[in-house]
Amino acid sequence: MTTVDPNLAMHLSETAVSVELETPDMTLNIGPQHPSTHGVLRLVARVDGERIESVDPVVGYMHRGYEKLSEVRTYAQIIALVNRIDWVSGFANEIPFVVGVEKLMGLEVPERAQYVRLILTEMARISSHLVFMSSFPLELGASTPLMHALRERERVLELIESVTGGRFHPNFNRIGGVKPAAGGGPTQKKVAQDIPKGFLAQTQEAMDRVLVICDDLDRLVTGNELIKARTVGVGVIPADKAIEFGVSGPNLRASGVEFDLRKAEAILPYDGIDFDIPTGTNGDSYDRYIMRNEEIRQAARIIKQAIDKMPSGPLQAKVPRIIKVPKGEVYVRAENPKGEMGYHIVSEGGRIPYRVKIRSASFSNLSILPWLLEGELLPDLVATLGSLDFVLGDLDR
Amino acid sequence: MTDSPSDVADAPIADDTPAGGVDLSGFAAELSDAIGGSSWTADFDTVKVTVPADRWVEAITKARDSGLVFFSWLSAVDWAAEVAVGEGVDDAETVEERYEVLCRLSNVTDASAATIATNIPKDDAALDSLVPVFGGAEWHEREAAEMFGIDFRGHPNLVKIYLPDGFEGHPLRKDYPLLSREVKPWPGTVDVEGMPDTGPSTENPEAGE
Repeated sequence: MTTVDPNLAMHLSETAVSVELETPDMTLNIGPQHPSTHGVLRLVARVDGERIESVDPVVGYMHRGYEKLSEVRTYAQIIALVNRIDWVSGFANEIPFVVGVEKLMGLEVPERAQYVRLILTEMARISSHLVFMSSFPLELGASTPLMHALRERERVLELIESVTGGRFHPNFNRIGGVKPAAGGGPTQKKVAQDIPKGFLAQTQEAMDRVLVICDDLDRLVTGNELIKARTVGVGVIPADKAIEFGVSGPNLRASGVEFDLRKAEAILPYDGIDFDIPTGTNGDSYDRYIMRNEEIRQAARIIKQAIDKMPSGPLQAKVPRIIKVPKGEVYVRAENPKGEMGYHIVSEGGRIPYRVKIRSASFSNLSILPWLLEGELLPDLVATLGSLDFVLGDLDR
Repeated sequence: MTDSPSDVADAPIADDTPAGGVDLSGFAAELSDAIGGSSWTADFDTVKVTVPADRWVEAITKARDSGLVFFSWLSAVDWAAEVAVGEGVDDAETVEERYEVLCRLSNVTDASAATIATNIPKDDAALDSLVPVFGGAEWHEREAAEMFGIDFRGHPNLVKIYLPDGFEGHPLRKDYPLLSREVKPWPGTVDVEGMPDTGPSTENPEAGE
């Protein structure tokens, strides 16, 4: 019990304030335009006072129909579509799709191209998690981490841009490799092309700075009592519920499940690379924050090792000018920054897929929301929502 | 797939069974044995068990109980002889008109995963809901329902998820046109026509067709 100012207590007794406030159920509409909804998510919450009785997420404002559009585009054109799904980690979205097509075609991708893919995927992971590092504390009222995290992210994006030409939408993967070595017909230049000179050295340096920013964020956020008070024990997802709802990625690992597709089913050369899978214990918002902080460090570690191991050689396998994919169906998934991202590709032997099912992480990660927010306090909604780290493009596709 | 499903005896064996995990080819054979009238394939490292529609929930429950506890996704494929947009099936004369509902399950210890599939007729597109088995199926079934017009029996809240309430039609059906293409042909198609004077082919003989 806190001590009450005697004057105030007297005042209270005089005015006879009712302790039991009337709290009729009311419907609270949050979004679609709200800073904590990362775009255009709308939540219709039925609240009793500050207690949430039920939440109905309304999604689809960003639905662009990529699955239908994939049915009228060639495989190479779809790559430009899929990196717009989760736009804060565009490069990582392309990987499962091209690997799926390569699997159907039986293509061997040159090793150097695979390492370029690996390095850029991990850089996409760092940039995605740095966005989380800026937005999550911001939603809880701390604006300083944003400045630090976004400054560092900008450097990572510049490096991605120096190789791919795009900060957000690299469109850098080709079926059978990555872009610089594409072509090869007699009308095109036969000059051997490679990633820009100095890129690897600059990336090494950038990774050192990323490790420094992680320590800075630790000092700013991780031990911060205000952040802890808002997030520890808030929005707890037990492991069995996470698995049942298909929650994946850092959100799953925060619940104590040590599962990472980079270890379990790597489609890029993660085999010889030494890295840890951070796991949480409580599955609360705070653990989900810790996961991302630690994953940035691990990603920097992976990139440093990959640069040391980088083989020389071509960046593109020989492929037909017109890509026709043999009949068959395949599902390829990868560990995206947000979780399991995969493509189920059904080919009927033509230049255009018959069907592409896109499994995006944020869709399943948010499908647990109605269950998760029931009975929680309204002020915890923002902390819980922010900690799930979703992107509307990844949710609505 | 329009390929005739291989029966259990000569089905390809997935030899990449992860140590200590679910024995996938064994699992697929077992599941397909337990559910009468089913078959399985394991092409391109993707294990797929096709079960009859009336034993759909039973098959998924069995798969979950044998270790595939992680609900990855659920969706469908519209197999049609005629398509409004895009390229049709390889052999339009033999294709069996149907919706193929797919459900992908995996686990959280290794690479074990399988696709469970079932076929439902187009004039009676209905299937039992998986929500009692996997809570995560709720949104996925809502999406499949609006996109393909499949009725998931027993679903607690089968309303539209992406599309506006008054939306008519089911966009991922093959007979649903893409209006922007009707109005103006896609300029991107010229990219995939063979360019004149391309010289000797750069095709890789190992790269298939």
